[in-house]
Amino acid sequence: MKYDVVVVGGGPAGSVTARFAAEGGAKVLVIERRKEIGVPVLCGEGISKKIDSWGMLDSRNWISREMDGARIYSPNKTMVKLSAEKAGNETGYVIHRDLFDQELARKAMRAGAEYMMNTKAVGLIKEDGRIKGVKAMHFNEKLEIEADIVVGADGVESNVGKWAGIDTTLKPNDIESCLQYTLANVDCEDPFTDFFLGKKIAPGGYIWVFPKGKDVANVGIGVLGSLSRPGLAKKLLDDFIKSDPRLRKGQPLRVLAGAVPVSLPIKTVKDNLILVGDAARQVDPLTGGGLTHCLEVGKIAGEVIAEAVNEQNFSEEFLMKYERMWKERIGKKLERNYKVKELMLDLDDKTLDKFADSLKDYNFDEFSTKGLIKALVKKHPSLFAKLIPLVKG
Amino acid sequence: MVRHKAKVNREVCLSCGGCIAICNQDAIRMVEGKAYVNDSACIGCGICINFCPVGAIEKVDAV
Repeated sequence: MKYDVVVVGGGPAGSVTARFAAEGGAKVLVIERRKEIGVPVLCGEGISKKIDSWGMLDSRNWISREMDGARIYSPNKTMVKLSAEKAGNETGYVIHRDLFDQELARKAMRAGAEYMMNTKAVGLIKEDGRIKGVKAMHFNEKLEIEADIVVGADGVESNVGKWAGIDTTLKPNDIESCLQYTLANVDCEDPFTDFFLGKKIAPGGYIWVFPKGKDVANVGIGVLGSLSRPGLAKKLLDDFIKSDPRLRKGQPLRVLAGAVPVSLPIKTVKDNLILVGDAARQVDPLTGGGLTHCLEVGKIAGEVIAEAVNEQNFSEEFLMKYERMWKERIGKKLERNYKVKELMLDLDDKTLDKFADSLKDYNFDEFSTKGLIKALVKKHPSLFAKLIPLVKG
Repeated sequence: MVRHKAKVNREVCLSCGGCIAICNQDAIRMVEGKAYVNDSACIGCGICINFCPVGAIEKVDAV
């Protein structure tokens, strides 16, 4: 088997990369370890509406519910509200991640990419140290898939990165320990995504309640690895659900565990190799959000790969174009939010309450974490002095 | 001297892969859909045990 490109992992980053590489003329194979694209759903299922303007998804069946805004609750439940009418009109959707991923895969398939399911990458094919493809198990059949470029879109565990000699190990303070339920029989009238902060609620992370409908919600927790104890994420989430009047009667349609990288960017390119998505740690370290990045970065990766195939140049030097472009697009934001994440860790619950109190009637000019950080810097300039240069412009 | 190793309870594991990403000895893999600790590589540091969102990893005495 010989392809121009083999993509390991059929999640959003893998499928978008595959699509744009195929549209640019490359012969692309995507291998996926799971038995169904998008299943299980490892996600909070929230996404910004800004993806609408990117035109990457035609159908709308993946939208579960349109949001009017977001509410952030401090430990004593002081609420900070970012709503559509206050901050332009760009809020978000709660989505069906399975349908969302499948739509992205269908677009890649339409562009000519081939997919193989139940196919697990087990190693790289190397010749004189050079990456020449992927060794895989398809059902019980051993495959050697030759390719000029291997794309590691294999998520937080990223074996591909490790095999290529990139240090992808995450330190305990750079990874979130997550648990998530889809709860039915809940009472979520308001179309708002809710975030709950506090050291006792979710140390180094937060609990989210994202309503998929009036009686169904995606409810989950992230706890920073360095503050985690065995089973803590599950215990804290279960306690929270019991304590919340809207969720108390909720019953689970599904439960999932997850791990989210919240680290600084890593090296994402080598000769004949590119990393994308969670495997490339392209996740907002403050919010744990990575879906929009997968779309942005996947497009860049696919287009650079198509160029590389046209020019038959697969060197790290050539592929660095991808790394430069993705860093230009989201690198600054990732670095800024990593600093904010670290700063947040030093804050006790009382300080968070004080911040929330100072922002509860604030008119945000931007519906984003940047807007929130700008407001904090404005209200508490001495505390956030080191963030001032990061939110200019 | 008794040394400790991490051991995954397959009945509890939800296959999130966090322990694999956090293990600095590269001692954990997915085997038949669940995390599996390679005894000879595990140094018993316990990082994965603390990380596990559902408490599926236990400390056991090394044989």
